[in-house]
Amino acid sequence: MIRRVAITGVGFVSSLAQDAPSTWAKMLEGGCGIGPLTKLSMPGEPAQLAAEVRLPSGPDRGRRVTFGEHIALVALREALRTTLGPKGLHPRRMGAFQGAGTSGLPSAEAFAQGRMAGRRPGAADAIYQSPTTITDALGRELGAMGPRSTVMTACSSSLMAIGQAWERIASGELDLAVAGGAETLCMTTYAGFSSLKAMDPGLCRPFSRDRAGLNLGEGAAQFILEPLDQALARGAEIQAEVCGYGASLDAHHSTAPHPEGEGATMALRMAMDCAGFNPEDVDLVSAHGTATPANDSSETAAIRAALGGAAARVSVTSTKSQFGHTLGASGAVGAFAAVMALRTGKVSPTLRLENPDPACDLDYTPLFARERVVRAALVNAFAFGGNNACLALKRWEGR
Amino acid sequence: MKPLPGEASIVITGMGLVLPCGDGVEAARSSWVSGIPCFAELPPHLGAGRGALCSAFKPAGIIPPMQMRRLDRPSRFAWGAVHQALADGGVDWTAGALGDRVAMTVGTVTGGSEAGEAFMRPYFERGPEGASPMVFPNCVANAASGHVALAFGIKGPSSTQVARENAAFMALDQATRWLRRGVADAVLVIGTDGLFPLQMELLRRAGRLAVHGDPIAEAGTGYLPGEGAQAFLLETRDHAESRGARIRAEVAAVACAAPVEESSEARAASLAMAVSEALGSETPAVWIGGSNGSRRLDELESALRKLHPDWPEPRFPKLIWGEFCGSGGQLLAAGMLEAQEGQVLLSGPGSLGCQCAAVIRRVRL
Repeated sequence: MIRRVAITGVGFVSSLAQDAPSTWAKMLEGGCGIGPLTKLSMPGEPAQLAAEVRLPSGPDRGRRVTFGEHIALVALREALRTTLGPKGLHPRRMGAFQGAGTSGLPSAEAFAQGRMAGRRPGAADAIYQSPTTITDALGRELGAMGPRSTVMTACSSSLMAIGQAWERIASGELDLAVAGGAETLCMTTYAGFSSLKAMDPGLCRPFSRDRAGLNLGEGAAQFILEPLDQALARGAEIQAEVCGYGASLDAHHSTAPHPEGEGATMALRMAMDCAGFNPEDVDLVSAHGTATPANDSSETAAIRAALGGAAARVSVTSTKSQFGHTLGASGAVGAFAAVMALRTGKVSPTLRLENPDPACDLDYTPLFARERVVRAALVNAFAFGGNNACLALKRWEGR
Repeated sequence: MKPLPGEASIVITGMGLVLPCGDGVEAARSSWVSGIPCFAELPPHLGAGRGALCSAFKPAGIIPPMQMRRLDRPSRFAWGAVHQALADGGVDWTAGALGDRVAMTVGTVTGGSEAGEAFMRPYFERGPEGASPMVFPNCVANAASGHVALAFGIKGPSSTQVARENAAFMALDQATRWLRRGVADAVLVIGTDGLFPLQMELLRRAGRLAVHGDPIAEAGTGYLPGEGAQAFLLETRDHAESRGARIRAEVAAVACAAPVEESSEARAASLAMAVSEALGSETPAVWIGGSNGSRRLDELESALRKLHPDWPEPRFPKLIWGEFCGSGGQLLAAGMLEAQEGQVLLSGPGSLGCQCAAVIRRVRL
């Protein structure tokens, strides 16, 4: 790797607000975007909660767009506004990297439902809406003629996408990339997690003794990545530095994480090695923190194993308590919390953590946001299939 | 991406194929040499029409029966192809887990979708009572990588790429990066897709399929679907030589380019750009194309042929084995079957996303 990589633009459409600064302000106030489920009609489900994005959708510049494309584009445009350029880059040296979870499923569900109801639904929408469609829309918006990578590793997708973008910029192949993820609610995932008894009918409680599962959510978080020297030369504000990433497979179980967090530990260690971080350098872990019984204890074990004694002084936070689990976008949402913490020296809270699980014995920033020095952060995302990812970020300190 | 001066050379040391023509390299070679399409009438559960199914796929002795029940078609095919590729590459996985120095990149589009339909159909009929928690975990595109990781004890990095017709190109590209960065000693590159009823119905309704005979390149009469998996074991040349592995081919370059407009001309220009970057100014010894009989793909390669009238005529594996709709790995498989010392160009036109190209050379099967 030959170049340092900076994040110079951030955009976030969330269930709390429709832009990054407003969302961050509400996160620090302890806002929760999870509320009654209104976008899906699933009356038989015991859980009726979700973190929904309230944003009117319609054609975009004359093109039909899905809701997933729409919120992804809104987030990208915000990110481009904050980065203020750069101008004159060669289109071949720009790319789009997206993590996807359920993109395209709502239209396939509508087709299948229509067919079962005896109608003859049109197939064009279901064919058109694929995960690649969002990546394409972002690439076109950016004017990028370079690679368009759509990663689908379930809940670690968008973190892998950011990692891939870092790889291409650090290696000197690209000069700019949009990376992140967008996720919208759909029936398949709602019914699926419910069938696994992984949904809390109440508000989720990551790392709590009485945690009972997750809430699902939607949102889009997008980042502009570019070489640090290029960003400095044009006077861009450096939001954070991306220092590398790690990834691993559990090879343990199709849905359950390794109880000791073996695969997750490998991903954390790989990210730290890649970034050149010592455990003592890390001040924050933006956790996967789904509030499922298996994840939270496994993740705690992984953080302890990777950071050793330094784990005791690290702040941990779970964005799932504020945004629910945004699946394919959740890694990017976690990265947003980490980038903002690095910039502001404030760590967003893990809500509703009033009764901690003794097996989860780290500092999870319970209930309230906290000020502290945050020099470096790790972002975790773990997925079905045992796909683990960890992103390493560093505060920009002027050199 | 081409290796920069001083960067590691990437080689292929193992290949496994599950194709409509049968399992293994020999079945594929016979099919490729004959050029006879593998299309047949689809079984009733897939509805009316023709396609290329892996009807001869025999996982007995490879996938334990208890596991078999839990796997969707892309995962079964991937497991079978990886089994072959590791054996071909002289990698003994039976002695223990392959561990964290082996990585995996998968290209697919239908991965997870077959299970999605199987999960939601009873849900729509009977509500939550119909939803099976055994099926849901396969509803993710990366289900195949999870199953393969479990089967062979693979614990290194893994990425599943989706890119319509060119997912396997993106997987190949990512694999070369991880090898050059040294994050793995070997990477399994897998393309896998499987046909399922909802997909077939969507394609029929959308008028994408050839309905009068087999597909013909540039005829614009539609394509016929296929399925299967292709697995390739990649290593750096140094690593392969150090363990005495037989080197089957060298991955000379992978390139992708995307248009900023949604026109056919813009996509054709992107494909030409990707091909130019992968191949440079040289003339390929062999050209394997991604045309499948649909206008949306074929016109891109038609434009490329007009640009390079001196190049050899392309051959199109999708006209024999079907359009896998996602993986695209059958192009690399066909390139390997050519066993050419010179440059084998693989051009991957895409209906969405990137237009892709790769060059392999010194192919020795």
